[in-house]
Amino acid sequence: MNQSFYKFFENIDRILMALILVLILIGLVTLASANQENMTLFTNQIINILIGMVLLIFLSNIDPKSFLFFAPHLYILSLILLLFVVFFGYESHGAKRWINILYFNFQPSEIIKITIPLMLAWLYHRYQNEIGYKIHAIGFFILAIPCLMIINQPDLGTAILIFLAGGIIIFLAGLPLKFILAGMFSFLISLPYLWSKLHLYQQNRILSLFDSDRDPLGTGYHITQSIIAIGSGGFLGKGWTNGTQTQLNFLPETSTDFIFAVFSEEFGFIGIFGIFIIYFLILYRCIDMAKKMQNTFSRLITASLIFTLFISTLINISMVSGVIPIVGAPLPFISYGGTSMVVSLIMIGIIMSLHSHKSLIAN
Amino acid sequence: MDLYQFKYTFRQRLNFIFGFFIIIFLIIILNFFYLQVVKFNDYSSLSKSNSIKIIPIPPIRGQILDRNGEILAANKLIYSLEIDPKNKQDFDKIKEQLDGIVEITKYDIKKYKKIIKENYYSSTLPIKINLKDTEVAKFIANKYKYPKIILKQKFSRDYPKGKSGAHFIGFINRINKKDIKRLKRLGNFENYMGTEHIGKTGIEFFYENILHGSPGYKKIEVDANNNVIRTIKTIEPEHGRDITLNIDYKIQKVAEKAFGNHKGALVVLNPNNAEVLAHVSMPSFNPNLFVNGIDEANWRRLNDSIHKPLINRAISGVYPPGSTLKPFVALAALENNVRRPPFSIIDKGFFNMPNQSKTFLDWKKGGHGEVDMIKAIAVSCDTFFYGLGIELGIPKLNKVLKRFGFGEKTNIDLPNEKSGLVASAEWKKKIHKKKWYQGETAITAIGQGYTLTTPIQLALATARLINPDYILHPLLKKEDLVPKHIKSNPYDLENQPQRPLEKKTFSLFKSKINGMQSDDLNLIKKGMSLVTKEGGTAAFIGRNSNYNISAKTGTAQVFGLKKDEVYDESKLPDRLKDHALFIAFAPTEQPKLVTAIIVENGGHGGSTAGPIAKEIFDAYLAGKN
Repeated sequence: MNQSFYKFFENIDRILMALILVLILIGLVTLASANQENMTLFTNQIINILIGMVLLIFLSNIDPKSFLFFAPHLYILSLILLLFVVFFGYESHGAKRWINILYFNFQPSEIIKITIPLMLAWLYHRYQNEIGYKIHAIGFFILAIPCLMIINQPDLGTAILIFLAGGIIIFLAGLPLKFILAGMFSFLISLPYLWSKLHLYQQNRILSLFDSDRDPLGTGYHITQSIIAIGSGGFLGKGWTNGTQTQLNFLPETSTDFIFAVFSEEFGFIGIFGIFIIYFLILYRCIDMAKKMQNTFSRLITASLIFTLFISTLINISMVSGVIPIVGAPLPFISYGGTSMVVSLIMIGIIMSLHSHKSLIAN
Repeated sequence: MDLYQFKYTFRQRLNFIFGFFIIIFLIIILNFFYLQVVKFNDYSSLSKSNSIKIIPIPPIRGQILDRNGEILAANKLIYSLEIDPKNKQDFDKIKEQLDGIVEITKYDIKKYKKIIKENYYSSTLPIKINLKDTEVAKFIANKYKYPKIILKQKFSRDYPKGKSGAHFIGFINRINKKDIKRLKRLGNFENYMGTEHIGKTGIEFFYENILHGSPGYKKIEVDANNNVIRTIKTIEPEHGRDITLNIDYKIQKVAEKAFGNHKGALVVLNPNNAEVLAHVSMPSFNPNLFVNGIDEANWRRLNDSIHKPLINRAISGVYPPGSTLKPFVALAALENNVRRPPFSIIDKGFFNMPNQSKTFLDWKKGGHGEVDMIKAIAVSCDTFFYGLGIELGIPKLNKVLKRFGFGEKTNIDLPNEKSGLVASAEWKKKIHKKKWYQGETAITAIGQGYTLTTPIQLALATARLINPDYILHPLLKKEDLVPKHIKSNPYDLENQPQRPLEKKTFSLFKSKINGMQSDDLNLIKKGMSLVTKEGGTAAFIGRNSNYNISAKTGTAQVFGLKKDEVYDESKLPDRLKDHALFIAFAPTEQPKLVTAIIVENGGHGGSTAGPIAKEIFDAYLAGKN
C-alpha cells in the first residue's frame, strides 16, 4: 500500500518540484499580506494549488506517447473551444474570452498555451526527416489560426504570448535565419500601421510609460504607485504585512497583477534577488532537461513550455516596475488566480513526464 | 534535415534563448537595484508622505446648435450644495440643519438616496442642486455653521427650447451603473473621472464622444489633515466640442406649430444632400426634467402615457405607408413595363380579383372613370393599383422598394432607429406561418398590406425620387465631422470623425439593365405634381400657392392592422381613426425641400397632413425668395 502510494510520486523531479514549491509559498505569503482582512482569496488559492498539484502528479505519470498521440486531437479540440467562445462565451472586462463548463469558468486561450506547443512539436517530430520550408509553413499555419481567433476576442496580449510560445518551437526546429530576419524586418516596418490599429487607451498606456502624466487618472497612476512601492521597499524591505503602499491601498490589484510590487515593498532587494535566483535555477534545470531529452517531441515541448512560463514572468515583472505598458498578465505560481496556477502546474507536470519517461520514445 | 544537424541547431538556439533571458533578467535586476537601493531615499519619502493627490477636472460639455447658430443645448451655471462622501450622513440631520436657509424637499431626499444607491459621484455628493439666488446668499452668510457642506458652482445642462426638438436633441442624465459598465468595456471609463452626466438619447447620446471631451487634472500635495499645501501641476481639460446640426430651427418651429396638438411625426430633408432640416415627433417632453435625475412622478407620467411621448416617432414609429407608397409601386411597374402609359383602365369604383369572387373597393364610390398611371397617382386610384399589383407581383415590387430604402434603416445619426418592413411571402411564412394570398398582393400595392415604414424612410425615399444618382444619407449633424461607419455605437473610440457623403458613385437607375429611365421618373413626378392641381387629392393646397408643389397623399387604416400594436393599446374611438400621411417636395421644378408627414388618427392625408407641409414650404420658400 505504502509502496504503491509512493509510486505516484516517482516521476516527480525533486529539484524542480522543490523550486516550484518555494515560489508557490512565496506567493501565498505575499497574498496573505495583501489580503489581511479577507482570507477567502487565500483559501481559494490553496484550492487552486491543490487542483493544480493533483493534475501535475497525474500528468507526470502519463506516458509521453499519449501526449504524442493526442496532440492533434487536443489541438482540434482547443480550436473548437475557441469557436465555442465566439458563439457561447460570455464577456468580462470587455472581451469575450470565457466559457463556463460545469462549475469552472475558464479561458480556452489558456489551454491553447499548452496544446499549441504539443501540436507543433508533434508536427516536427512526425516529419522529422522532412523538415524544410514546407513543414515550417505548415507549422506557421497551425500557429496562426488560434492566434487570429484570440486577437478577435479581443485579447492581443494572450495572442502575442501564444505566438511567441509557438514561434519558439519553430525557431528551435531550425527555421532558417533569413526568415527570422525578414519577419523582424516586416514587423518593424509595419509598426506605424500596427500603432494606428491600437485602441486609443492602448496607445495611452504605451505613451504613459514615458510620461506618467499622460494618463494620470488611469494606468499612469498605477505605474507611479507601483514604482513607489518597489522603490520604498529598499534593500531589506519594510517587512511582511508592513508595506504601507499595499496596506493603505495605494497599490491596485495587489492579489493578481501587482502582487510582485507587494513582494518588493515588503521583502526589498534581498527578496527580489532571492526570487531571481530561484527563477534562474528553474530555468536552468528545465533547459538542462530539454537538452537531455531523447527525441524531438520532448525537446521542443520542454523548451517551449518553460519559455512560455518565463515570458509571462518577464512581462509581469517588467510591467510592475514600469518597463513595459500595463497589459494585465499574471505572475506564474505567485499571482492569485485559478487558471494561471492550474495551467502553470500542468505545464510543469508535462515537463516532468517527458523527463522521467525519456527513454520511452526515442527517435 | 538529418538528426545530428537538428540537434546541433536546437542546442545552439536553446542556448541563445537562454542567454537572451538571462540578459533581460539582469536588466530587470539592475532596474530593481536602481529603484530600491540607489533611489531608495526618494521613494521612501514619497511613500511616507504619499501626499500626492490627483483631482480630475471635468471637461465642459459641447453645445448643440442649429445651422444658424441657434442654441439647442447649452450649459448653465448653477449653485449646488454638496457633501464629501466620507462625511455622508443622515439626510434628516442635514435637512434639520439647513432648515430656514435652504429648503430641502422630499424630491431632493429621494434624489440623494438614489445617487447614494447608484454609488457614482465624482468627488462630492450633491444634496441640493440648482439653488435660488436668495438661498445662495443665506447659505454664504451662515456658512460657518456647516463646515462639512460645500457650496459648489458648476455647469448644468440646459435645453432652452424645452419641448421643442426634444426627440432629436435628446438629453443627458446622471451616469448610472449600466453606463459605467459600458464605459469600462470600451476602455473609456477613465475619461469620465469627474464627469457626472452622460448622453442618454438623441444627438446627446449619438455624439457623446465629441460633446464630452476629456478631463484634465490637478496634481496637488496635501498634508496629513488633507489640507492642500500646493498645486504641483494642472492640466486643463479638453472641453467637449460644439455640434452644429443641419436643423434649421426656424423651420422646426414652424413645423411644430403647424403640427399643433396632433400626434405623429414629420421629417424635412434637403433633397440634394439629405440634410435633416426639421425633425418633429409629437407629443413631446421636456428634456430639462431628465438632466439631474428625473423624479418618479414625472417619469411615470411620461413613460406610462398611452401617447408615448418619449418615443421618437420620426425614426422609431412604424406605420403602414398607405397611398404614399403608390409612386414607388408605379416606378416598379414601369421598370417591368407593366401598365406603361398610354395603358389605361376604366375604373368603376371596384376591382374584382382574377379567378375569385373577392372584390376590393376604391376609396371613391363610383370610381374615377378612365385612369392611366399619371392620373392614378394624381387621384390616388386604388382600382388601378390593385390590378397593377397583381400583374407586377410582390418580388419585383419589393426589389424596387428596397432600392429606395424601404425595410432598411436609413442610418441617420440617432439611436434606436427602426427598419420598417418590406413584407413578402417568405417573410409571412416565417413570421406568421401562413400562406401569402393574392389579395394581399393587391392591398400591398396601395400600401395597406404588411409593409411598414418610418417617417424618415418615407422622406428619404421621396428625396431619392428627386436625386436618384446620389448616395443620400440623412444626417442631423453638419457633415464635416461624422463618424466613418454610422452605427449607433457612439462610444466606439475607433469611429473617429470623418467626411461622409460620397456623391455620384453609382446610380439608382441608370446602370441597371432594363432599369428605370429618367423618363419613367418624370412620369411619376408628373403624377405627383398633379396631386396639388385641380382634381388631385390635395388640390386645395395648390390652389393659393405661388409655387408648384408635388405630393402624394395617403391614408393608413389603423383598425384591423396587426403590426401597429405599439400605439393601439387604448380603446378610445379616436385612436381607431386612420393615420394621415403626406409626402411632398417643392418647388416642383427645382425641389429645395422634401417632407414626409404622418398624423396619427388624422383621417384623410390631404386634409390634415397636407396643410402642415404647405406651412413649412411657405415659411422656407418665402424666406428664401
